[in-house]
Amino acid sequence: MTRFFQWLNTRRKLNWLVLLLLVIAVVAIVLTPFFKIMPFKPQTPRVMEISYVMRRWSPLFTIAGSVVILTLSIALWLRGRWWSRIVLLLLLVPALGATWLARQNQFEWMFNPLPNPAYAKSAEAIFVNDTDRVMAVTIGNESVAYPIRIMAYHHVVADIVGGTPITATY
Amino acid sequence: MLHFHLAGINNQNFIMRDEETGTWWQQVSGKAILGPLKGHQLKEVFHDELSFALWKREKGDGRVLKPDEKIAAANEYEAADWELRVGRMRAVEGTDVDKRLAPRTLVIGIAVAGKSVAYPFSALEKQSPIVDTIGAVPIMVVLGDDKRSVRAFERTVDGRRLEFFEKVDKATPAAVQLIDSETGSTWNFEGRAITGPLAGKQLKKISVLEDFWFDWRIYHPDTSIYQIGAR
Repeated sequence: MTRFFQWLNTRRKLNWLVLLLLVIAVVAIVLTPFFKIMPFKPQTPRVMEISYVMRRWSPLFTIAGSVVILTLSIALWLRGRWWSRIVLLLLLVPALGATWLARQNQFEWMFNPLPNPAYAKSAEAIFVNDTDRVMAVTIGNESVAYPIRIMAYHHVVADIVGGTPITATY
Repeated sequence: MLHFHLAGINNQNFIMRDEETGTWWQQVSGKAILGPLKGHQLKEVFHDELSFALWKREKGDGRVLKPDEKIAAANEYEAADWELRVGRMRAVEGTDVDKRLAPRTLVIGIAVAGKSVAYPFSALEKQSPIVDTIGAVPIMVVLGDDKRSVRAFERTVDGRRLEFFEKVDKATPAAVQLIDSETGSTWNFEGRAITGPLAGKQLKKISVLEDFWFDWRIYHPDTSIYQIGAR
């Protein structure tokens, strides 16, 4: 193991360069879609496509990138002076942060999903006012109302109505 | 069977992702726009958007989605007057802006036989039912007695095209009733004839989308706008 890091250390300048580029790449692949896919900003089809690809590959890319980043950092740390070790720590933070963020769904932080939706009989639905609007579905003999005030928060609710699996969205 | 999660936003309309393939689907159209299932279309389930009181009256024994108690306790659901607040929000202006209507004008969007028409809600408030023809399909748009619920129907029964007018019944002035001029039958807000020669007949329901003009126009770029008196 030490031989491997010794070998790496013969190329310190190259290590630093690769490390820096990788940290930038790892952060960019995660933050680009994060900042592009935002409400009140316009999205073109090209932006959507690039964001989709980045989101799709982020989890794998950030893990692989972080492994290389950590390996290079260990090598540079071992023979590094105090100020280069500080720089290494400062570079590790965004890289590991981005790796974690790649696995998160920030939209579900803002709008929690409803994993086990529960229903009340209409006579017992005191949480809905008469003037509130609902989305209503009838399939076969089954009728369901999805209050819009609740749907506007969760956005997506899976259900089975009259035997048909549906997804209510608002 | 696919399971969906909120995954993003595309010009103010949200994107959902299915767990099974990771494909991105556009909420308003139900179309897969990116990913392994790109091009697929989710089948639309006919639905109504109406006030709870009206729904209870029509469907007494249905079930209602309950809120999440923690989120309700934290007051994070929309307030009762959410429509006012959202109506005042900015709309994202893309490159292809259609200024015929203000972006956040509430419209009733109807797409039938490949054609799209936006009926400004204000037009429906002035005149209900709005009787129109889209392509070759005779339709009508009706405002409910809560002055907010909207339904659309095809105006054909057994191959016969009908003309509809508002009927005011002094006994029940609040309830929405329509009368067709061909047979004089009375019809209710569910599109069913309740008295007259056609009693028992049900008009075919047409999906409507209550939407803001800017969003309807993004997904229906060739849409026309209904003008009162144009017919």
